[in-house]
Amino acid sequence: MNAFLAPNDYKSPLKPIWCPGCGDYGVVQALYRALSAIGRPPHEIAFISGIGCSSRIPGYTTAYGFNTVHGRALPIAQGVKLANPDLLVVVAGGDGDGFSIGGGHVPHAIRRNVDLTYLVMDNQVYGLTKGQLSPTSPRGLKTVTSPMGSLEQPINPLLTVLAYGAGFVAQATPADMPGMTALIEEALRYPGFSFVNIQSPCVTFGEEEQQLRAHKTRMKSLASLGHDPTNQLAALDLARAYGTELYTGVFYRNPDPPPTYEALVRQRQAELQRGEPRSRARVLDGLSSRGG
Amino acid sequence: MLEDLVVGMVGSGGDGVVSAGESLLAAVASQGFHALMTKSFGSQIRGGESSCRVRISGRKVLNPGGVLDVAVALNWEDFRRFGAELPLGPDTVVIHEAKAGPPPADLAPPGHGPRQVLAVPLGELAKSAAGTDRAKTTVVLGILSGWFGIPPEALDRALQKKFAQKGEGLLEANRKALAAGIAHARAHPLDAPRVLAPPPSSTPKLLCDGNEMCASAAIFAGCEFFGGYPITPSTEVMQILSRELPKYGGVVLQAEDEISGVGAAVGASFAGKKSMTATSGPGMSLKTEVLGLASIAELPLVLVDVQRGGPSTGLPTKPEQADLFQAAFSAHGDVLRPVLAPTGVEDTFRLTVEAFNLAERYQTPVVLLSDQEIAQRKETLEPIDVSRFEVLHRLVPTPEQLAEGYQRFAETPSGVSPLSHPGMPGGNYLAAGIEHDVRGAPTASGAVHASMNAKRFRKLGALQERADLFEREGPRDAPLGLVSWGSSAGVAREAFALARARGLPVQLLVPHLLYPVAEPVYREFFASARRGLVLELSHQGQLYRVLRMFVDVPPGVTSFARSGAQPFHADEVVERLQQQAEGLVR
Repeated sequence: MNAFLAPNDYKSPLKPIWCPGCGDYGVVQALYRALSAIGRPPHEIAFISGIGCSSRIPGYTTAYGFNTVHGRALPIAQGVKLANPDLLVVVAGGDGDGFSIGGGHVPHAIRRNVDLTYLVMDNQVYGLTKGQLSPTSPRGLKTVTSPMGSLEQPINPLLTVLAYGAGFVAQATPADMPGMTALIEEALRYPGFSFVNIQSPCVTFGEEEQQLRAHKTRMKSLASLGHDPTNQLAALDLARAYGTELYTGVFYRNPDPPPTYEALVRQRQAELQRGEPRSRARVLDGLSSRGG
Repeated sequence: MLEDLVVGMVGSGGDGVVSAGESLLAAVASQGFHALMTKSFGSQIRGGESSCRVRISGRKVLNPGGVLDVAVALNWEDFRRFGAELPLGPDTVVIHEAKAGPPPADLAPPGHGPRQVLAVPLGELAKSAAGTDRAKTTVVLGILSGWFGIPPEALDRALQKKFAQKGEGLLEANRKALAAGIAHARAHPLDAPRVLAPPPSSTPKLLCDGNEMCASAAIFAGCEFFGGYPITPSTEVMQILSRELPKYGGVVLQAEDEISGVGAAVGASFAGKKSMTATSGPGMSLKTEVLGLASIAELPLVLVDVQRGGPSTGLPTKPEQADLFQAAFSAHGDVLRPVLAPTGVEDTFRLTVEAFNLAERYQTPVVLLSDQEIAQRKETLEPIDVSRFEVLHRLVPTPEQLAEGYQRFAETPSGVSPLSHPGMPGGNYLAAGIEHDVRGAPTASGAVHASMNAKRFRKLGALQERADLFEREGPRDAPLGLVSWGSSAGVAREAFALARARGLPVQLLVPHLLYPVAEPVYREFFASARRGLVLELSHQGQLYRVLRMFVDVPPGVTSFARSGAQPFHADEVVERLQQQAEGLVR
């Protein structure tokens, strides 16, 4: 058993590049606490991200981090987990990284059910490039690239991920730190692909109603609504309110998690390797039988 | 006696010409012949035109050969689609299905017509002997056996193998078709009968194609992870690894796209495993951004690009050597990425192992540039003594280095820094596509960027000295030079031998390391070879142009290049060399 690891043991000396008041400060704090509660030493954690403000987060932890390219955190993280299933693999990024440029990878990560925790810091705007339209920006939003208002329907991350069949889907806000910490911890413990949509406000380019002050009055916990998180249909129904209601908590948790992809891979390897271990030096032996 | 036999067979998909070619290849390999078979198709999924070319010799077969000795046409429409891929000459014997009618008048250029054209009722012979006209390609095998002395018992064994799983009835039917073909050949001898000279040794040869050799070599080199996406003509690498790699404890991920295939491989490499992806030109284009990530994060990775005709979808089922620019240069920023190229099935083993070794040793992506011909051709091999090949591993930090403030990107004289991976206590660091300092912390400092760029280039400086990654033949002072790479190098080797036999003062240089350009090797070569050719299958002559970027290529050395799917023949290369030699005395 590992010695007790405090939240600060997961905090790196790097100073975040985020604007003062950014919601992501709350996310990284909650993550330190959740990781401390789980207690895996930092060297057994791989923290993968793409590009964006929130994708800087691995560098602010003491885990092995990989700040990759825009939109590709999920495939890279799957490679990490399949290469070494004993690692705790966390993936983080923004709404643009996950649902715009990287949107094509989300269904596949989910259907494979690799045991990853995917934290999306959803602020409905592109912050790093200074305020353009994002895939979750509300219709009508005026930004520098939609000066007369967005003509597009936003994507609904919760509904999308539920529809793809994710086994664990939750939403959190830094306006409720204990709630967010508990949700991240639960997601990390879920044996399979888990997703937490974190409404993490952009203080610089975000709308007034997306700020923490507004969250405090708008947020409603799913538990207080009497939602049963094992009810997938009810979860889908509640998820439809993304963009109008700020529900926090677990939308869906599969009560009977299916085996993870990496567990099935290990099982198949074990079946194929039965008997004496294969020697790589003898890989060409099979060729001899093919002549004539 | 015939030293060398080149047979081309064309039919529609489903006629079984490729399958018959494989039986022929297996039969002659079992007798100790050297042989090589290429396949060429239209890009239809089923049906469409289908062809194979089998070259058989007692000596080592260096390439698929030029003009056909025997052309087999099951119908003319499909035959004509292959054009220059299956050229006829004055010595060619043409067999065609009688029902298809006489050959079209423009089958060969005037004066180059085939020596003999034989209409054979292949379908009828098959039907009367075997009860089905589907055995007509087996009748063809019988005819070849009868004319050229290919032992019927060897063909019979090949048929037994082929039909072993398909029931006794089918095997018996094909045996009868084979006998009918042999009888037909006896009854209709060639105008100029020739028998294939027996090989010097009857020890059976091994058979393998380039993609299978590449997958096997990857296993030998210690590959533990493959991420990829199906794409012609590289798909077999993933298919074979899907079947084989888990037996060695490895993982194959068929990803949702080309980007995620290489992404997962880079992730696995970050996690400490030897990793690989394989693709062709269009996939290489998509993978480019992630390759840049592997370069700046200094992560080992092997990328196999089995070239096909391009750009875009291009000629998906035909060979071309036009991805060299892409392999060497497709990147933003200053990137040095080694590019290796095999020239055939046998050296695909060595170069795949070398690709892993370079990737692990220098913590860099490495491109192995194969092509459709090498990847999908089957050739005979002598057993490969794998104990001759060294397998290298990445440099990992020592316990002392981990204990005293480990720096992932530490400055070292070689430029190579010890590489930790998740799970290794004390090695924790941030890998990143963003520029970083020695500890991995992101930076926007121009000074740090300059020193990191210098480090990433410095570590590959050693490749300049890798003369062992070049094949050099002929007298070192010969004034005539022939340079070629990839599948064209097989033609160059034959042309070199023919030119030497003609007394031309020629030397041969075959680079297996294409990039970075090992300048000392070329400087030395071009110091004596002041005239010559750079032979390659691309419109632009990409190696020639890359060489001119880095080396003073003498003006007398010119590019001999043409677009893909029109392979060179040794004779035409010798003619060009002869012209170059005439320039020497002028």
